[in-house]
Amino acid sequence: MDARTYDLIFICRPATPEEEVDKMIATLTHAAQEKGGTVEKVEKWGTRKLAYKVAKHREGIYVYLALHGTQGEMIHELERRLKVADVVIKYMTIRTDEELKRQRKLAGKRERRAARRPRKQAPPPAADQTAAEMGAAD
Amino acid sequence: MTERNDENIQSQPEESAAETVAAAPESPRAEGAPTARPEGGPPRREGGFRQGGPRREGAPRRDAGPGGGPGGRRPRKQYFRKRKVCRFCVERIDYIDYKKADVLQSFVQDRGKVLPRRLTGTCSQHQRWLITAIKRARNIALLPFAQEL
Repeated sequence: MDARTYDLIFICRPATPEEEVDKMIATLTHAAQEKGGTVEKVEKWGTRKLAYKVAKHREGIYVYLALHGTQGEMIHELERRLKVADVVIKYMTIRTDEELKRQRKLAGKRERRAARRPRKQAPPPAADQTAAEMGAAD
Repeated sequence: MTERNDENIQSQPEESAAETVAAAPESPRAEGAPTARPEGGPPRREGGFRQGGPRREGAPRRDAGPGGGPGGRRPRKQYFRKRKVCRFCVERIDYIDYKKADVLQSFVQDRGKVLPRRLTGTCSQHQRWLITAIKRARNIALLPFAQEL
């Protein structure tokens, strides 16, 4: 099975002390490693306003993790832990590898086209015409 | 400079290209249609109406009835409209990040509804990615589902 990457965001209660949040991150990192995954990146966004009330709170402490793993079980385990943790009021996991792959593909395509362009530039009169029209419209 | 223009055209969706093409034959017809065009006249005119009518007008579908009358007015109106381009195409964005709530914020209404492409000018591809991003952001409370007022 291919390696997969995930984004995991969870929100803690605004009154949670810093150590608790760190402990939560450590727990998740450990759980991920146990299931053969790794935590690539940890970002603490700090206290942010929530767009709507969650568990009667108007703000929360956001933590973002970028994960790398090979089995879906890892995500099950992490979500189970997040669900039972008292300090966490909301969490979300998203699989990102497919979108990143698409992004790389499109970027590669564009680069190849850019490399090919100088040769192609002279002949197309139609493109020039539309370009002139675009300029006029703007 | 020319290289840039060229690139823009290629990267843009077909829709914008079609619009420029549609605009091209219409402007000369406004003055010179009834002069001399024996065989090419009828089919071209038909095409022009189909493209120029409901598509360009935007929201109100049936403001002007069919006929030769509004044909003279329509092309002039086009020149006043500023052509919208997809903001993501201009910046060559291949992935719309759901974490950048401030970017997404400009594509939703005050109460949290997604703005239509008609108003923002986003191309269909990017609109689809944008909607995914907005839905993810809503899920993690970065954007509202519906803002209470």
